[in-house]
Amino acid sequence: MAAPGPGEYFSVGSHVSCLTCLGQRVQGEVVAFDYQSKMLTLKCASSSGKPNLNDVILINLAYVSDVDIINDRTETPPPLASLNVSKLANRARTEKEDKLSQAYAISAGVSVEGQQLFQTIHKTIKDCKWQEKNIIVMDDVVISPPYQAENCKGKEGSALSHVRKIVEKHFRDVESQKSMQRSQAQQTQKDSTLSS
Amino acid sequence: MSMKAGGNRSKPGGGNTAGAASSGAGGSGGGRQNLGRGRHSGKGPAAVIFSGVYANMRMVHVLTSVVGAKCELKVKNGAIYEGVFKTYGPECDLVLDAAHRKSPEPSIGPRKEDIVESIIFKASDVVVVTFKDVDLNFARKDNFTDAAVSGKINGEHKEKDLEPWDGGETHNSDSLESLDTDVSNGWDPNDMFKYNEEKYGVLSTYDSSLSTYTVPLERDNSEEFLKREARAAQLAEEIEASATYKARVALENDDRSEEEKYTAVVRGERESHTLSRENKYIPPGQRNREAMSWGPARQNSPRLAQNSAGPPIPRPGPHDYSPSSGADQRVVNGGTYHWPSPCPSPSSRPPSRYQSGPSSLPPRATTPTRPPSRPPSRPSRPPSHSSHPSYPTSSSSFSHHGPASPASTLPKRMSSEGPPRMSPKSQRTPRTHRVPPCRTTGVPPGVDLISHNTPGELPVSAPTRSSSSGGTWSSVVSGAHRPRSPRQNSISGSSSGSSSLSSPQTGAAPIETVATPTSASSPTAASPAPNIVTSPSGEAKECRVQETRQTSPTANKENIKPLDSSSSITRPVCKGPPSMAPDHRKQIDNLKKFSVDFRLQSSSNTDPAFDQMMTKPPRDQADKPKDLPLDKTCSVGREGIEEGVVIAAGTPGGASAPSTATNTSKPGSPAALSPSPSAPDQKRTGLDVTSQGVQTTATSTFSGLKQEEKEEKKEAVQDQVRKSTLNPNANEFKPRFTTQPKPSNTPTPPRPQGQPSPSIVVPQPPTVYSQTVCFPQMYPLTPVSPGVQKSIIWKSPAMYQVQMPHMAVSQSKPYRPVPSMPQQRSDQHHPPGTPTMMHSATAAGPPIVAPSPAYSAQYFACSPQQFSQPLVQQMPHYQSQAQHVFSPVMQGSARMMAPPTHGQPSLVSSSTTQYPEQTHTMYVSPGPMPQQYPHHSATLHPHPQHPQPSATPTGQAQQGGPPQHGGPSHPAASPVQHPQHPQAAAAAAAAAQALHLANQPPQQQMYSALAPTPPSMTPGPNPQSPQASFPSAQQTVYIHPQQVQHGYNPSHMAHVQQAHMQSGIVPSHHPAPTHPPMMLMATQGPPGGPQPPMPQASLNPIPVSSTTHFSYLAHPQVQPHHQQQL
Repeated sequence: MAAPGPGEYFSVGSHVSCLTCLGQRVQGEVVAFDYQSKMLTLKCASSSGKPNLNDVILINLAYVSDVDIINDRTETPPPLASLNVSKLANRARTEKEDKLSQAYAISAGVSVEGQQLFQTIHKTIKDCKWQEKNIIVMDDVVISPPYQAENCKGKEGSALSHVRKIVEKHFRDVESQKSMQRSQAQQTQKDSTLSS
Repeated sequence: MSMKAGGNRSKPGGGNTAGAASSGAGGSGGGRQNLGRGRHSGKGPAAVIFSGVYANMRMVHVLTSVVGAKCELKVKNGAIYEGVFKTYGPECDLVLDAAHRKSPEPSIGPRKEDIVESIIFKASDVVVVTFKDVDLNFARKDNFTDAAVSGKINGEHKEKDLEPWDGGETHNSDSLESLDTDVSNGWDPNDMFKYNEEKYGVLSTYDSSLSTYTVPLERDNSEEFLKREARAAQLAEEIEASATYKARVALENDDRSEEEKYTAVVRGERESHTLSRENKYIPPGQRNREAMSWGPARQNSPRLAQNSAGPPIPRPGPHDYSPSSGADQRVVNGGTYHWPSPCPSPSSRPPSRYQSGPSSLPPRATTPTRPPSRPPSRPSRPPSHSSHPSYPTSSSSFSHHGPASPASTLPKRMSSEGPPRMSPKSQRTPRTHRVPPCRTTGVPPGVDLISHNTPGELPVSAPTRSSSSGGTWSSVVSGAHRPRSPRQNSISGSSSGSSSLSSPQTGAAPIETVATPTSASSPTAASPAPNIVTSPSGEAKECRVQETRQTSPTANKENIKPLDSSSSITRPVCKGPPSMAPDHRKQIDNLKKFSVDFRLQSSSNTDPAFDQMMTKPPRDQADKPKDLPLDKTCSVGREGIEEGVVIAAGTPGGASAPSTATNTSKPGSPAALSPSPSAPDQKRTGLDVTSQGVQTTATSTFSGLKQEEKEEKKEAVQDQVRKSTLNPNANEFKPRFTTQPKPSNTPTPPRPQGQPSPSIVVPQPPTVYSQTVCFPQMYPLTPVSPGVQKSIIWKSPAMYQVQMPHMAVSQSKPYRPVPSMPQQRSDQHHPPGTPTMMHSATAAGPPIVAPSPAYSAQYFACSPQQFSQPLVQQMPHYQSQAQHVFSPVMQGSARMMAPPTHGQPSLVSSSTTQYPEQTHTMYVSPGPMPQQYPHHSATLHPHPQHPQPSATPTGQAQQGGPPQHGGPSHPAASPVQHPQHPQAAAAAAAAAQALHLANQPPQQQMYSALAPTPPSMTPGPNPQSPQASFPSAQQTVYIHPQQVQHGYNPSHMAHVQQAHMQSGIVPSHHPAPTHPPMMLMATQGPPGGPQPPMPQASLNPIPVSSTTHFSYLAHPQVQPHHQQQL
């Protein structure tokens, strides 16, 4: 049991760093701390670097050591905004459904490419689902393995052409990423060879 | 959520205010404060409401705002689970939906079979939970505030890294510095040429004569040239004098801020319309402004000029402007001058508009805006102008003093003129006329007419702006009128007036009917309050009723019920007798007689206490209330000073302080009034004691006093003497009160009679109040929420010794409004009935069936009541405290608890602060809630069935058959006691059952405990000496609360109940032996039968009522929450 920290208290807004029992170093701004449950909530910069987003870390201080308060903020934390609970509930539901549908696809033996394509399409068109190994978009367009643009079938129309565009772009992006990775890998190989 | 909460709160608040009457907003505020306090205090009562993490606002907020986000959860053993964060428990247990154990290979997603629907992680197993890329503002509600809007960025904008600028060495530092000191406006052209020439060798071809573009004017003195020059000058003058030119120049040189130009609400135009029509005087400043800004920009200058020129000069030319306007015009022309003379600065303008009279401004503005059609109207206007030459000065009076004669005349003309001219206007104009009469209250008719007319015109003249303009219009035109007039109207109480006012705002609403609703909305707030305030002095009851109605206009349904409830409640306190049905009155009379008899028997001594009482009585508001209060006080107050106080507080109408005073005074006053000197004295003293006790008494003293009191009762005369001596000391009196329970019993008999629902209602209210106090306790007992059970409710009273009779009242008030109340009351009555005996049970039976949910609540209440009562009696403080604590708790718990069956929206819920609600919702979603619900439902169902019949029989069986009828048979002290005991036991058992039902597991235990204890109690302490029993009961009670606090052991519960039983029993025993009258009372047929039960009944009813209240409140609250959750 690690000490909860100086004063056994974290003021909201202060920056704290700590080391978990699993060796993970965590640092962030204290958002909330519950003494009874020893739960500390930190807000960190997004790991993906997106400015509008944050990483929120909930730490059980019972499994934490080496707690440092980097700087303490005495200012009173801002008031809490009211939350739209229904919105949150909806998010929880949709996230769950997405994950389940994804899992369904995986368990159905869909190729990684297919899954990636599905994710890409899902970003722009929410109304897409798996049917066996086929991706059904807007109940209108069916994309069957191997999920190329020519595999998009359905009623000719804007929907089909739109989906095709998405599919084409997806694979273009994938290709470019692969080439990028290859080039990087080659570079690293070269570097390694050179260095050696 | 917040919005909803707000709405709910407002409703409850209204209910509170209604109940509170004089206290007014205090009621609602109190409720909130309670909640807030509980929460903040955290460890104590707050913990009850929100346990564990739920008590941590920030943690709740953060965790909730992260709901629905994907997260990775690391467990102690290093395994990582990934899932969608679903919810969390009070112990910070985390629930992940669609969770799977993350495999070391990141690329492969989870298979279907790997995913678990949801996993609950105990907080102790969680090491770290990481939510990646969470938008913490995702669920923020304030999406439309300036901050929120500005804070949002469309798309992702990475802040570019700022790099310090390095000017390099090419530039001399002095050049930079010169910028700060250089006053010149940039480079002089010649300098530029020179610089270019020197630096780059570029020669400028600039020719100052601009020979490339024009030819120099050859001046000569020829006549032709002079003519031409003169002509040119004339033309220039005309052009510059033209409105268009001015307007354009003004545009170019306009110094006004963008806000003023484009954003600010424009009032001038409409005003101008009205004014133009009427030819009202326009202040120079406004004229200028209009001409400047609007006239030029939007429309033709000539029109403006004409308008500005006013009646005297029809000409459009600027020159025509009257002297006053002249300055403004000049400004306009000059462009630069604009603001100085008339309107020094744009900022200053707005005020000028309002004050100087919107009327003045509008005319000119209107002219520009108006289409060509208007010009014809001008001719007609001139006369009006002439008639109102004095306007400049009068204008101010106009707006402000509406009533001013000129104004009145004008409006009439306006109205007359308006309709004929414009067909559409005509329709509306009539309206205006109608309205004015309504307003008659404070505002001069003239003013009203004007305002109305204007709106009518507006639509016609400027259809585009009609809606919005209407609002501005009215405000502008009427100026101060609106705000003032509506208020006045509201005060006066004339809705019509308000409606009229409101109508202009709405603008669109042409019909009066429409107007009325609007008026109701806007004016109501102001009007009801004043009414309430004023009324309090008169009759608290009525006021309350009115308040309830007024306050809760939104929910008529609820209001109606609340009204009934409120009225009934209030009745008991103040009007009790009048409101009562004839039967009730008879009962009351009987009670009065009883009280008198009792008094006579008790003693003939007039003690100093009496004097004290006398002094207090003056406080009493009305005689009526006094009589009832006496009865009530006798019964309730004696039984438990606490109850009496509470009741009094509640009855007064929620007026906190006054109510308490009145209550105390009431008892006293009745005593004074009553023919029998001795009895009144005792009662008075008791009352005094009660009041004092409530305020300041200490528990320890109570116990001792109680014993003494018992003894005293036994020996009436001696006791009386003692009491007289004791009376001076508040402490002594208190004991009497405890002993008094019997007297209370006597008064209670009427209640039993009343049990038939209606009659009972009156007496019950007081009980209800006391019950309310108890209630909180009850709730904890109820399984509503584990956290709640653990809640320190019991402790809390000890913790909070604050004397809060008022608080109790306020709480009670909110409850009153609850629509369900009437039913509850009936239910309440029933519960008392059960204790009373078979009769009560039968009576109660039918009603019970109907309001099953209420019953359950009642039952709960009963048990708690018992608990609370003993406590309360001992500790008046407790009552207040309990109320405070409880109310918050109750509300909170109610939400949690509220059974689905109760659809009624509870005011109480609304009373809770927004945040709590949110938090509640939050909480609700988590696991604990569902459990609670099932319990409730279960409890509810069983209750209706078991409560009366089962409970009574069980108690009887244990104690013995006779107890049921024992009440009537009381004549023999011992037998009486036994019967009473059984009854009490039965009541307790019923309560316990109810509780048990509520708390399924504890029930059995409770029963067992109760069964054994009551018998023991009856034989031992009661017969021997009531005193002994009392102290013991008290002790037990005290201890129990603590135990309860720690854990909800059924055993503890049982103990508590036992204690209650004892307490309940004790009073009955004491009275029986000591007070023969009591016996008589019991024997006296209906009253007598009920009497023995009465104490219990009184207790029970109180709890019941309180419970019912709570249940209702709770239910409504809960329901909303559920919905939200769902």
